[in-house]
Amino acid sequence: MTAVRADLEEVFRGAYPRVVGVAARVLGSRDEAEDVAQEVFLTFGRSAVPAGEALRWLSVAAAHTALNHLRSGRRRVSREEAARDHGAVAPDVADAVVVLDERRRVRAALARLPRRQAMALVLRHSGLSYAEVAAALDLSPGSVGTTVRRAESALREELTRHAPSD
Amino acid sequence: MRHPTDGTLRRLIDEPAGVADTDRAHVADCPRCLSGVAAAEADASFAGAALDVAFATDADAGWLRLLAADGRGPATAPTPARPASDGRGPATAPTPARPASDGRGPATAPTAARRWRAALSRPVVAVAGVAVLLTGATAAAAGDWLQIFRTEQIAPVTAPEADLITMPELEAFGDLVPVEPLEIHAVADAAAASQATGLAVPVVRELPKGVTGPPSYQVGGRASALFTFSAAKTAQTAAAAGVTLPSPPPGLDGSQFRLVAGPGLVATWSQGRPVPAMIVARAVAPAAYSSSGVPFATARDYLLPVLPDNVAAQLRGFSGDGTTLPLFTSVEHMTISSSDVGGHPATVLRSRDSTMSAVVWLDDGIVTAVAGSLSPGEVLDVARGLGSR
Repeated sequence: MTAVRADLEEVFRGAYPRVVGVAARVLGSRDEAEDVAQEVFLTFGRSAVPAGEALRWLSVAAAHTALNHLRSGRRRVSREEAARDHGAVAPDVADAVVVLDERRRVRAALARLPRRQAMALVLRHSGLSYAEVAAALDLSPGSVGTTVRRAESALREELTRHAPSD
Repeated sequence: MRHPTDGTLRRLIDEPAGVADTDRAHVADCPRCLSGVAAAEADASFAGAALDVAFATDADAGWLRLLAADGRGPATAPTPARPASDGRGPATAPTPARPASDGRGPATAPTAARRWRAALSRPVVAVAGVAVLLTGATAAAAGDWLQIFRTEQIAPVTAPEADLITMPELEAFGDLVPVEPLEIHAVADAAAASQATGLAVPVVRELPKGVTGPPSYQVGGRASALFTFSAAKTAQTAAAAGVTLPSPPPGLDGSQFRLVAGPGLVATWSQGRPVPAMIVARAVAPAAYSSSGVPFATARDYLLPVLPDNVAAQLRGFSGDGTTLPLFTSVEHMTISSSDVGGHPATVLRSRDSTMSAVVWLDDGIVTAVAGSLSPGEVLDVARGLGSR
């Protein structure tokens, strides 16, 4: 059994919110995002990734793993689950009327994006710089903007077109 | 020079320092590129809202789970197969069951969901502000605040969601300052809701099948805001929409409008479930007041070209007396029909995926709505059977 790296707890405590956040952007579910984070940290714990690169490595791994979850259809979120995090009752009628299974639609839209676009989108919106996204995806920094732009445009198009029927 | 790429325009939003000086200088003077930046910014904001999930995380609980999963901590869960590393992060290995006592409550962080929902519903709400102005067409004398809009009927305005999302907000035409911010809080019961709002609380005599238990109540006081029209801001908004407006009508620039709505209350039947089975809401309908006596037909006709054509056409068709509140609805998600409740015309909305229906009507300046995971027939039955206390 490979030894667990000594700095795992320190890295975990510093990076856990970020890693859960990356996965949650993809999955829209805290439970699933925490499961992904756990998988990622388990792997990291036995890796030799330099501590200085840990946060970026973990973020990229979380995005990949979460997208894998989506595409494997590992867990189909029911309508009620998708709506669960809507929280308290919408205070106005307009909100109440716009009860949509938004999370499911975001998941579906992300699953349809080309992998590189989905990765760039999630990583950029998780706070990685253009240089970090470029390094993670083997892109030039100049083309990160193009990739992110295309992804955002495609996401909006997916989410604003006719909602897929169940 | 050649126009910078879309990717460069996108980077200008996030990391302007990463964009070459020559590109930045070009963009500053190029209407086409400025428009491209605005479009990129809109898409970026939309994506940010869609992806935003600001969950509260508990690193302590997470760490204990990790130890357990790794066989180093309390054996609360089976150890998962070790994930393979394929250079793209761990594979999707099974994960251990979550310890039951992790203190996790349901729906702990609605903030992000609210934001994302807001991205969709914001136009519905904010545009109502614009529409209150644009549909208020009665004239005005100079002098004191003059009521120029009072809600006497509700009429649906349907448009593709993409159009609704591109609708400008009220701030796009001037400055909006909250005077009485909207504050919503829970109260103990119907009597408290009535006392807090001065409204008769709707009483549901017979609950539809699947809806049980007593409701919970929330109330909000009157909310109001002061809007000051700005010709400069309006010109910018118009330019971004590719529209060139003539000079504003005399007196419009700098004129002020007071927008008022509420108080209101909402009764919710959720039985501890995350999605309420039914809500019944009631509020004093919006009104708008003008201090300047600007002829509103003129103001409306001046601003309508900035709105999406199909929306503008529907608003233009409203009566000019400033009494019709538009109910903005996306054609993709909702179907609309007309009915009546207690002799008042009512608008019935039904989601196209049949998960949700609502009915909204107006009675003497009070708007009431029944909505829920119900059929249109069920919400109408509830609406027609309402009593009050």
